[in-house]
Amino acid sequence: MSTIEIIMPSKRYRQKATIFMVSAIFILLACIYLNFNPLMFFTEFHFVRDLLGEMFMPNYQMLYENTSTGLSILQTLSMAFLGTLYGGIIAFLLAFLAATNTMPYKAVRVITQVFVSVLRMVPALVVVLIFVIAVGPGSFSGVLTLVVVTIGSFAKLFTETIENVEAGPGEAIFSVGASRLQVIRYSIIPQIMPSFIANLLYAFDVNIRAAIGLGIFGGGGIGFQLQMAKSVLHYKDVMALVTIIVVLVILVEKLSDYLRMKILGDGKLS
Amino acid sequence: MIIGQNTYSFKRYRKFVLPLISLIIVTAGASFVCDATLFKLRTGILKGLAFLRFMAPPDWTAFKDMLEPALQSMLLALLGTVFGTILSVIFAMLAASNISNKWVRNTARVLIALERSVPEIIILLLLIAAFGLGATPGIISLSLGCIGMLGKLLADIIEEIDPVLIESMESLGANKMQIIWFGVIPQIIPNLISYALFRLEINIRLSVIMGAIGAGGIGYELDYSFSMLQYHRAFTAMIVVIVMIFGTERLSYLLRKKFKVEGALQ
Repeated sequence: MSTIEIIMPSKRYRQKATIFMVSAIFILLACIYLNFNPLMFFTEFHFVRDLLGEMFMPNYQMLYENTSTGLSILQTLSMAFLGTLYGGIIAFLLAFLAATNTMPYKAVRVITQVFVSVLRMVPALVVVLIFVIAVGPGSFSGVLTLVVVTIGSFAKLFTETIENVEAGPGEAIFSVGASRLQVIRYSIIPQIMPSFIANLLYAFDVNIRAAIGLGIFGGGGIGFQLQMAKSVLHYKDVMALVTIIVVLVILVEKLSDYLRMKILGDGKLS
Repeated sequence: MIIGQNTYSFKRYRKFVLPLISLIIVTAGASFVCDATLFKLRTGILKGLAFLRFMAPPDWTAFKDMLEPALQSMLLALLGTVFGTILSVIFAMLAASNISNKWVRNTARVLIALERSVPEIIILLLLIAAFGLGATPGIISLSLGCIGMLGKLLADIIEEIDPVLIESMESLGANKMQIIWFGVIPQIIPNLISYALFRLEINIRLSVIMGAIGAGGIGYELDYSFSMLQYHRAFTAMIVVIVMIFGTERLSYLLRKKFKVEGALQ
């Protein structure tokens, strides 16, 4: 007489399986709710093929026929540059106000930290919509948006960098009678400068992508050109602009990598 | 000798002169191109503050209309992250030198690098041109956007895993799928979770922008209220967006702490 022994899977395995099933069902429901069918990308792929057919060959003639294209490329680059520069400088100054080892008053620190976190929470879309109303559409509103976004994402990083400097040199010159500003100037700034410049180059890299996106919402630059070309269905122009954007982004990335390597010596983003 | 004398000599600062001058020239040129003037900034800030005050009391009656779009945006970001993570794991496997062969690896690396240089918003614009408005192009572009970042990070992680494990599995006769499933995946799971959560934060922000372009959700409400000049309603949408982003950030932080994978990014 033989008994059938049912081997139950282990408790841990069952737990994992349950979590997996629940999340799978949740994702399925979300897909149904949003009316999204991943397979549609393949079954309806002929739309993409038609679009690509319409896009080739890209119309590179518009680059020199339409003078505003060259200007808009320059505008996008300038937007990213100014946004990074001013945003970086303001973030740099705010970081000293928020770091424990440079700002003795807790109230100032907390206010700065809260201000920076609020900037970080507000998405770029909201900022650009407000600035378009405040200064009118155009690349200046894009610059201001990038300044705000850069402060939001980098002030906290710089604060942490300042707090992580070695205390020894600062204490040494403080003990021989240096003022707080002198400690910052001769001990802290030399230590954080390489990291600051490397992060700023990284910010430029990020901001060039953001600048392209902001153009669509009235921030000017090449994003605006792209939106215009798309809305009048000039897909050959769209393709030309997309290739230019890709080249621009790759060039900026390579340049920023190269400069970072030169400044830091070993190419590590510390 | 006075110590201070040497510290302030011109010689020490000479190497900064040329970079500084070029920086000033480039800044002036960029300001000219962008039409950035101090006057414009001053009037703009005053106008902006006045505008914010004008928006001030949010229209709370619109709040319940905002909940569904907010949910849509969050689900959009979530689905984009889920499918994007699956895609990037596949791409990372193809791009890792210890799993795939040389040709596949180089092709995958080039594809990942190329993808990284196309901003998600441009992918979305092209997909909307192909598929029309709706959540589908939004989810696809978010998923594709993941490949560039997660694909590269995960490929580097996979290349760093313990090779002894793979060799021992190979010696026992495991095939490629078994090696990947039992040898590689369990080792990269902590990093995978951490990166995916980080990407979810990015995708939530992106989904707001994508909504305004045509993927639906809270971004659409925001853009629509702004263009219809219903500023009190727009203010409500702004608050909802900020709460949404804040919530995701806290959640992602807590989850990362729970899985004890903190510190990989962030």
